[in-house]
Amino acid sequence: MPFLGTTLNTVGLLFLTHAVYSAHEHTATFTHAALPLDVTFELLVSIAMLSAGIVLSSPDLKPIQWSQWAAKIERGGRHGEGKWTREGEELLSEGDPYAFLGLDKGIGGKGEGRRGFWDVRGKRKEYAEWAREGAK
Amino acid sequence: MATANLLTPPTTITPPTALALSQKAPLILASPPTSTLPWPLSLLFTRETPESWTIHENLLLAALRTGDDATARSLLDRLTARFGGTNERIVALRGIYEEALAGSDAELEKVFEGYEKVLKEDATNFGVRKRRVAVLKSLGRVGDAITALTVLVENSPTDAEAWAELGELYAVAGAWGQAIFCLEEVLLYMPNAWSAHAQLATLHYLSAPASLPALALALRHFSRAVELNSSSLRGLYGLKLIAQKLIPLLPQSQSQSQSVSKRNNNNNNPTDDDDLPPPNLSTVQKLEEIATSKLAEIVRLYTAGKSGWTGFDEAEVQAARELLGKAER
Repeated sequence: MPFLGTTLNTVGLLFLTHAVYSAHEHTATFTHAALPLDVTFELLVSIAMLSAGIVLSSPDLKPIQWSQWAAKIERGGRHGEGKWTREGEELLSEGDPYAFLGLDKGIGGKGEGRRGFWDVRGKRKEYAEWAREGAK
Repeated sequence: MATANLLTPPTTITPPTALALSQKAPLILASPPTSTLPWPLSLLFTRETPESWTIHENLLLAALRTGDDATARSLLDRLTARFGGTNERIVALRGIYEEALAGSDAELEKVFEGYEKVLKEDATNFGVRKRRVAVLKSLGRVGDAITALTVLVENSPTDAEAWAELGELYAVAGAWGQAIFCLEEVLLYMPNAWSAHAQLATLHYLSAPASLPALALALRHFSRAVELNSSSLRGLYGLKLIAQKLIPLLPQSQSQSQSVSKRNNNNNNPTDDDDLPPPNLSTVQKLEEIATSKLAEIVRLYTAGKSGWTGFDEAEVQAARELLGKAER
């Protein structure tokens, strides 16, 4: 689909440019004559192709129902979308907007929610223990 | 699948993931995002983006977790140079750094006193007030932490994060009534949060695992979690579990159930929710069927590795599989 969309956009743009150029040339040369039919036809075809191409190459629509949108996030998890920041970190797709409440791992869960209350010493101790066991 | 991404770190960071995150430090440290040119030029040729600073902050936390204090120090210096030492967020981050470096409880008390000093100057710094609670929790003074948090939510009652933390502290202490109240406050501000509904249902269930009104409330909230997120694994798991426990407790016909609810009303129940009649037996059975089929679908497609279904937590899917297996036997 993206290939078809890009092709239609490219060809449509070429036709549009050509049609506009032809129309300009024609009016410059024959000031009082009507525009030939083929130029009008080319213009209309190029616009139809461009419209189709833009629709085809647009990103997928999001589910408009809350439960389906949330289900899509929950099922698919976060995945890369082919864009990176300057530091080399990939931009991920939309995630759970309520993850900051830190409630998704249950009571006493080891999630990363509630960053304001981040328990730095606990996490440090957990890592140090893991490193010690790994060194053994 | 937990990829180490500094811009959006995973929701659970295991020690190996933390190590992978902090190992990205040399690359980030090698190229400062701010420009060294004089003022008007620095605006034109800057390489910084909003993401740069999120990455710096996440890397700082990862470095502190893995004990890479030198890296943490230089990241903190960079953030301070950019946003100034009095920025609320920077003050809290510096606090986290000092907490991490505190070797003993006495040193941690010193950090705590530093927070008190900051708050004496500006009591509206909620980042620091939250750090203060975190230090109290870290010192093992859970009672003091709860008191500090109740003051915090009194001053800022719309802070859902603080209500959630207070609910967690109460739940860990076994004060179910207070924990349920806190989660209801969270729902007041975030009525669409499916995880909060699931958590509230869990609390109702744990507060009285064999009483009909508590189980009915748990069923209602798990149903709401599934309504808000039709693939909510925790919601579906809870729905099935509660429905299984509820079915033997429910009266067989509608007339009996009405008499039960009347009896409940006569008992002077403290909360309004208990006045609701218990759900119909047939409704609960239908809910259980729906939960079972959806759980089976999730387990099957996750195990098959179908694309778009692999975002679940491995352990949670395993738990769902065991619940389904138990029901078959």
